[in-house]
Amino acid sequence: MKIEPTELEKAVVLKVTGRMDAENAHEFEQACERWISQGTRHIVADLDGLEYVSSMGLRSFLTVAQELQSRSGSLSLCGLHGLPRQVFEITKLIGIFPVYESTQQAIARL
Amino acid sequence: MDEPFERLMLPARLDSLRPLIEFARQGGEKAGLGSSELDQLALVLEEILVNIALYAYQPEEGDMELAYRSEGYSKLWVEVSDQGRCFNPLDAPEPELKDELIDQKVGGWGIFLVKFLAESISYRRENGRNIISFRFPRSETAGTSNP
Repeated sequence: MKIEPTELEKAVVLKVTGRMDAENAHEFEQACERWISQGTRHIVADLDGLEYVSSMGLRSFLTVAQELQSRSGSLSLCGLHGLPRQVFEITKLIGIFPVYESTQQAIARL
Repeated sequence: MDEPFERLMLPARLDSLRPLIEFARQGGEKAGLGSSELDQLALVLEEILVNIALYAYQPEEGDMELAYRSEGYSKLWVEVSDQGRCFNPLDAPEPELKDELIDQKVGGWGIFLVKFLAESISYRRENGRNIISFRFPRSETAGTSNP
């Protein structure tokens, strides 16, 4: 899994590519925590290149989203497709996250 | 007659997940599963194996074994086993979906996904081993409707 950050005025976009599984899901959480500790309140996860996510990944997304929400911020999910989208749909968690087709749409809503 | 099982046993640790899942993926490919089905199979196996790696033996160490055989057209019969403490993960309560993200429990989704994607899944304790067995993929269009 690769995580590439882009710092914008209102948010940080984290482009996540590859596979997020039990062995590496904590890396996403750690990357977000670093930005949150630096004052970031809105994180936009660009998941267009995410090929796979398991329940450990869901746990990381939920943990980060709750941390941001407790600081009046948000975690937006963009570009979900394939297996990661199925996982969010099967669990119905897709309904409680802000989900967008593109990062541009997510940023426009902040 | 049933085909013989292909088996791989490795230490019950997180770093054994990828080789065990790759072993099953190869079996799935040979059986004719498509790429999205292979990803779903990897997900089901990760969720079962991660529970064993983290909880079955702690603080002791032990093994976990993955066995599969092809069963009919583009189907696999899979068994995952360990010698850890007697435990049926399928008994775990279904996680409750909350209206608000902030109230949502972050864990408990693994076995929920397993039950959704695998067919005829069951648990048994046999000869001192916990054994989870299932057919994959589901007969109906896997992953697009409720079980």
